Amino acid sequence: MNYWEDVEIGTHRDIGTHTFTEDEIIAFGKKYDPQVFHIDPVAAKDSMFGGLIASGWHTAAMWMKLSIAERKSAAAAGNPLQRAGVSPGFVDMKWLKPVRPGMTLRYSAEVTGKTELRSRPDMGLIETRNQAHDEATGELVFQFTGKGFVQRRPR
Amino acid sequence: MTELLHFEDLPVGRVFECGPYHVTKEEIFEFAREFDPQPHHLDEEAAKASMLKGLSASGWHICAMAMRMFADGVILKAANRGGVGAREARWMKPVRPGDTLRMEAEVVEVKASQSKPVGFVTFDCRIFNATEQVALVSMTPIISRRA
Repeated sequence: MNYWEDVEIGTHRDIGTHTFTEDEIIAFGKKYDPQVFHIDPVAAKDSMFGGLIASGWHTAAMWMKLSIAERKSAAAAGNPLQRAGVSPGFVDMKWLKPVRPGMTLRYSAEVTGKTELRSRPDMGLIETRNQAHDEATGELVFQFTGKGFVQRRPR
Repeated sequence: MTELLHFEDLPVGRVFECGPYHVTKEEIFEFAREFDPQPHHLDEEAAKASMLKGLSASGWHICAMAMRMFADGVILKAANRGGVGAREARWMKPVRPGDTLRMEAEVVEVKASQSKPVGFVTFDCRIFNATEQVALVSMTPIISRRA
């Protein structure tokens, strides 16, 4: 397992793809974001998006799902992992393009910053710029800057 | 039906009370199994040994619950044109099974578009359990201006 000290700024991970289906977009929308363009494919045609689109929080949660799956497969392949802890939050989340049924997004994560924590000498903070691109067009669809606590090497 | 809220109805400082949202263990597990399968969201014994010292909801689940409270309390009552993003989320305290959440959504910034009859309205959504603030999610929907 890797410690905070081993994390290098600039490290880029491709964390995988996901194709959004109409059924899962509607299921997420009904539970957490019941705006007409997330839950009703017919009424959505008359909305400003011209059709059904995924909730931005669904697009975001999918980043987490793929990130964990990628960490698990990296660990199974014997690659060192960060000793990850929990996250205090994120900044600058942008929903840049609508995510429509059948679209495949390619997700990634790049380390952009490292901060020491005076209050928690056993932990460090890392910052990652996380993105999703439309696989068909290459366009940037979704972006945010995540933060995570990572264990420091025992001193 | 009451008239929809427009950009002009949302000055800086206006606060909407949203919620409540009852958080069940089943829903914490369900969300975590699908999107955030880490032991501190899925396994009560492993969660006790974690940094959060007990089972807690995924931060992404907290955001989704905030969105539901925001939709029911504000967005479905507004001339909403979709969201551009979330400026910030802070996961400050664990959200536990059995918690009842409420939310204050306060307008903190407004910006009228120069080219279209809409405006950007940023809300700081402060989420509380019975005793303290547990999270902040800052969201920016686009709201139509009054014709």
